[in-house]
Amino acid sequence: MMPLPVQRAVRDYRNHKYLHGLCALTIALSVFIVSAFSLFYLNATEVLDAWRKGIRIIAYLSAETTDADRKTLTAATAQLEGVAHVAFVSRDAAFAELRLKLGDQTSLLAGLSDNPLPDALEIRLSDDYHNLEDIDKLADRIRSLEYVDDVEYAQKWLHRFKGVYNLFQITGFVLVAVFFMATLMITANTIRLIMYARRQEIEIMRIVGADDVFIKYPLYIQSVVLGFVGAAAGLACLFLAYILTLANVGSSSVVSMFDIRFIPPALVLGIIVCSMIIGWLGCWFSIRKFLRF
Amino acid sequence: MREEKNKEMMIRLFRVSKHYGKKSALIDLTVDVAADDFVFVTGPSGAGKSTMIKLLYMGEAISSGSILVDGVNLARVSRKQVPLLRRKFGIIFQDFKLIPTRTVFDNVALVLEVAGVRSREIQTRVMEVLDQVGIADRSGEYPQILSGGEQQRVAVARAIIANPKIIVADEPTGSLDPDSAARIFSLLQTAHAKGAAVIIATHDRELIASHDGRVIRLEDGRIAKSSSEPDMLQ
Repeated sequence: MMPLPVQRAVRDYRNHKYLHGLCALTIALSVFIVSAFSLFYLNATEVLDAWRKGIRIIAYLSAETTDADRKTLTAATAQLEGVAHVAFVSRDAAFAELRLKLGDQTSLLAGLSDNPLPDALEIRLSDDYHNLEDIDKLADRIRSLEYVDDVEYAQKWLHRFKGVYNLFQITGFVLVAVFFMATLMITANTIRLIMYARRQEIEIMRIVGADDVFIKYPLYIQSVVLGFVGAAAGLACLFLAYILTLANVGSSSVVSMFDIRFIPPALVLGIIVCSMIIGWLGCWFSIRKFLRF
Repeated sequence: MREEKNKEMMIRLFRVSKHYGKKSALIDLTVDVAADDFVFVTGPSGAGKSTMIKLLYMGEAISSGSILVDGVNLARVSRKQVPLLRRKFGIIFQDFKLIPTRTVFDNVALVLEVAGVRSREIQTRVMEVLDQVGIADRSGEYPQILSGGEQQRVAVARAIIANPKIIVADEPTGSLDPDSAARIFSLLQTAHAKGAAVIIATHDRELIASHDGRVIRLEDGRIAKSSSEPDMLQ
């Protein structure tokens, strides 16, 4: 047999189906919005990280660099912190690649009497070497090496990218915080509505000698369960939307280029726990007003 | 006098006043109620009957004076102790104060649930008391479909189920027909016979005249008359 507070909580659900349904719906909607944003944020972050991992530094060598010099330079560069791999790209290979990339527009190169491209080293960075300041320093060091004429690594793009990335992160945190607060306030107000509808019942309970604990326990149980149900419903809707979106995205779509993943189980659990905490907090905020003797 | 002093006092009001802003509902009220008393508090509307009842179970706070209930000074009762004090009472209202979303059974069971009685015992005791007030066959129904007399019997069942030391009733028969009123009154007399002090606030002179009991008549918040005989009220 269920404990008495649980029995009473179940009975109260039955007696106030509409209000409890409304509360669960409110929570579900908020959880859906927050989770949808998290889904977008996580996948976008992953895409951005993948792009960042693809950063290469190209060191252009001076024309007088001999094979022996190049080998020494390659070895010296490979020793530098943050360098994962150094590959030599000869001027001829670079020119051939350019010709290949131009495709139908190869005629643009027709006026050239000589290959204008220099020999170069293509330097790939370690996966964990993402700090922009570190990349700047590494580029400066490579630039200062003998036989290196110039260094190119999309510095401007990287700085802009960092700004966008930071803004994206801050916006993410602010939005999650705003939605958390909004959900909390909405939940608290909906629970307050439930209590307002039950004020006569609570007053009668107090008259017959019910203490705070007797009145509070079922309310807390209900609110935490509402938080769970709301979160589960919101996440289920999001999962359904995710499945449907993936199923309807054509192979030619830009979205299909990325491996779009659902939010990880740990975050799903976190969202459910947060929602239950919001239910509890909402109840706590509302209850204080109604339990003054 | 000596006999009065030796009686066990269940309720003592000493120079109790209650003010709502500038308006005084009770002024300097001193009343003793013994453990075996059956008391009518009467008087015209606005005399302070309901206020006096509310002060006893701490439904309202007194403005001055002191009240002792079963030896407990209400001035020293903390917020947390209020529920324990209220469990000494069985309270009946003119408007019944039944929870509309609970069945008759659940309304009566609430008092025992509050007191922490086990479910199995609740089941037995509630059915016993519903049988006693003659409404056991309607235990699964909701209050709003019952007649006024039946609702008040549910309220009486709720008031007596935990065998309280004190039963207070604020106009318990005010909205009932004479037959229902007589039945409710009879139930209160039974509870009194089982050992509860009973205090009934009423302006029903016929009810008072036709039953034994001590009578306190209030007028403008003060005791106008206090007697052990109903005819002294005339």
